Amino acid sequence: MNVPATPSFEQLQRELEFYRREYDDMGARLVRLQEEQSRAAREARRSKIVARLVRDAYQIVHQDIFASKIGGLILAMVADTALCDKAAFLKRDPVDTERFVVEHALGGMTGETLELPAPPAFLFTASGKPAEPAAAPLTALIGVPYILFAHDESSGRGVLLGKKFEGNIHRPYEARDAEIVEVVLAVYIDLLLRKSAEATMRQARQAAEEASNTRARFLANLSHELRSPLNTIIGFSGLMLEGRARAPTPEQRDEFARQIQDAGRSLLALANDILDFSSLGHARLQLRREWVPLAPLLHAVARALTQDIAARNVWVDVLPVQAELQAHIDYDRFRQILTNILGNAVKFTPPGGRIELGACLEGRSGIRLSVRDNGIGIREEDLARALEPFVQLKSESHDHPRGAGLGLPIAKQLVEAHDGELQLASVFGMGTEVTILLPEGSGKLG
Amino acid sequence: MKGTIRTAYAHDQNAAAAVRAAQADLGDEPADLIVAFVGGKHAPEAALAALRAAFPGITLAGGAAAGAISAHGFGYGGFEIGLIAFAGADVTPAVVATRDLLSGEFAAGETLGEAVRARTEDGQAVLLLFDSVASTAPLKLHPASQIMAGFQSGLAARELHIVGGGLLTDINLSDGWLLDGGEVCKHAAAALIFPPGIAAETVIFHGCRPASSFLDITKIEGAEVLELNGEPALTVVERMLGLTLGTTSGQQLSLVATLGQKQGDPYAPFDENAYVNRLILQANPERGSLTLFEPDFEVGARVQIMSRDNILMLESVTRGVDDLRSRMAAKTTLLGLYIDCAGRASVMTGAETEEAELVVETLAPKFPFMGFYSGVEIAPFAGGTSRPLDWTGVLTVLQAAR
Repeated sequence: MNVPATPSFEQLQRELEFYRREYDDMGARLVRLQEEQSRAAREARRSKIVARLVRDAYQIVHQDIFASKIGGLILAMVADTALCDKAAFLKRDPVDTERFVVEHALGGMTGETLELPAPPAFLFTASGKPAEPAAAPLTALIGVPYILFAHDESSGRGVLLGKKFEGNIHRPYEARDAEIVEVVLAVYIDLLLRKSAEATMRQARQAAEEASNTRARFLANLSHELRSPLNTIIGFSGLMLEGRARAPTPEQRDEFARQIQDAGRSLLALANDILDFSSLGHARLQLRREWVPLAPLLHAVARALTQDIAARNVWVDVLPVQAELQAHIDYDRFRQILTNILGNAVKFTPPGGRIELGACLEGRSGIRLSVRDNGIGIREEDLARALEPFVQLKSESHDHPRGAGLGLPIAKQLVEAHDGELQLASVFGMGTEVTILLPEGSGKLG
Repeated sequence: MKGTIRTAYAHDQNAAAAVRAAQADLGDEPADLIVAFVGGKHAPEAALAALRAAFPGITLAGGAAAGAISAHGFGYGGFEIGLIAFAGADVTPAVVATRDLLSGEFAAGETLGEAVRARTEDGQAVLLLFDSVASTAPLKLHPASQIMAGFQSGLAARELHIVGGGLLTDINLSDGWLLDGGEVCKHAAAALIFPPGIAAETVIFHGCRPASSFLDITKIEGAEVLELNGEPALTVVERMLGLTLGTTSGQQLSLVATLGQKQGDPYAPFDENAYVNRLILQANPERGSLTLFEPDFEVGARVQIMSRDNILMLESVTRGVDDLRSRMAAKTTLLGLYIDCAGRASVMTGAETEEAELVVETLAPKFPFMGFYSGVEIAPFAGGTSRPLDWTGVLTVLQAAR
């Protein structure tokens, strides 16, 4: 049996050195393998970040939030997922197209706008890469040196991510990171479009519901407005027919004929209003504008309503108007506007009440017209509805004449067709003032 | 034992919203102390205002955290809020603090240790929290080893179960802060002293294994290792690994490797619990040196280059939780507290599995649980006194003492 010889000290030293070398070598391989694995995992992380961003961002689709909130939510996801220090969405200024405005920001920007005449579709900065000229305003805005930027020309939007350091979890940015910012931007734009489409649909639905309500109100109102004069016509004409037990006296016959005529006129006026309002809503009104002296117009309108004014026993004052004041308007349409407004005021001003018509220059060449009464007024909560069609506001008193509720809406549409604005101010129980404002260029003296 | 401990976790980019969500999770029961771990993207003053608004008149402790870990979620993106609410004298820790770390970590630690000694008996549990970052330009840490050396000196013979962590706003060591006296404080440390009726059990999870033979530190200045085996330390390490440790832009840790010191018999078989690891804070090519996280190695110390090992890290969690569970048997557990080195997050290690998730899954706590990502961890080491550790996870359970 051969017994191995006891190794010499020198052999042992060599053996130890051998094992030490091998151990160190194995250790170094382990470190490098570990580092390689970490690097591969960090690379794979980019895809995970993109996938998670897409998944999380599209959760927003199902949330009932405004489009204006989407940007902030996505930036928070980006900061949380991509582990950047700061982030912002930028939007091209619609007026100064070389300027971008910070739309949403996370982490604080140094300003709210930046000059970026020719934004690249993508850029990044890293310590190992010479900076592009376009990077300077972006790094200045975000206040950190390392950035990722993507821009979408068609929507005029951009996204900017930034970090303070390149170490640790924040490896240096590189060209392949375009995937991250491009996805962020695409998701943002897509969600904005979706939410915007949702809002449009919601508005359309509301409009349809409103139209349906309006139609219902119209039918209810119309049936009343039609039934009353028709009943009058049928009733009085019945009384006038021959063969009745008691023939009407000539005086009665006159009165019945007058009632029938009034009812017929009322029906005609109603039909005109409905046709007017309907045509205003469906086609652009053709105005025949001319320079019209306002003082004669106001007096003509007041005169035209003399009968109603007398019947209601109210006072109508046309306030002094500069004789040479003229407005560039469609005479017939403006007469209709003022007639409707004054007619309304007469209707809702109790006997003994007062109504004032006035007109003056507004600014250099605008026009202000007003009809002010001390009638029953409108409750604050009803003010907005008063300009809606077919709306008859509740009244404490029953002695006010009814109507189709189209006078003011027609007036409003006609004013707007003149590029003007119709304003309504009222204090319940105290009175109402309707003001028409026509833009600069609509008025002149002489 | 009267009193309750509750935990809550929330995540929101708005600090007030995050605190409100966590508060709702805690429920309506009043609290005597709130310990908050606040993600670093939350402005400290905003977080404090939110905490004050949510918990008026209640003592606040805690501070910044590189992330928070709960049984229901975790994160290290910076928008996390982790809360622990203590109610009742039997469970609520007393808080003592110092704001003098900048004047000298040892002295501040010693003062804190003396204050804790005066309020404790042997065997009590203490949670030590401190601001990790002394300055950012240049980057300088508050060394946990000096704080702990001072703290142990102040404690004198008092034997306590001390766990703790360095507070960071993020893993880039951007900043750190602590809540003390209703204020946001820099350069501060706080000791949370648990009542005597509470016992603590702790396990340390590791994740590094030696990747070199022994190397002797032949020249060191504080935390800067200048020479190994008589050669420039950086040259030795880079030559051995065949890797460049990094050009270091000041804030970049070299996470490729650590230096580890084996405790006890150097020739004993590998035992992860025998190693104290030190992260390499910076590689300094011009000085050929390596700056470590802690300045507690000395000339003559025998160290090894240590490699991260993701598999070992995850195995260590499984082994450690089993060990802890065996020690927890038949006791009422009041709180699970996890102090996790931020470097163990998968974004750093590249591990497929999030180590913190594995801790929660394996522990499956049926008791309140809260954790935070830290800079440095402190735990009783190898059956002895508590030491600062790097690249570890420290899991402690607080239980009603028998």
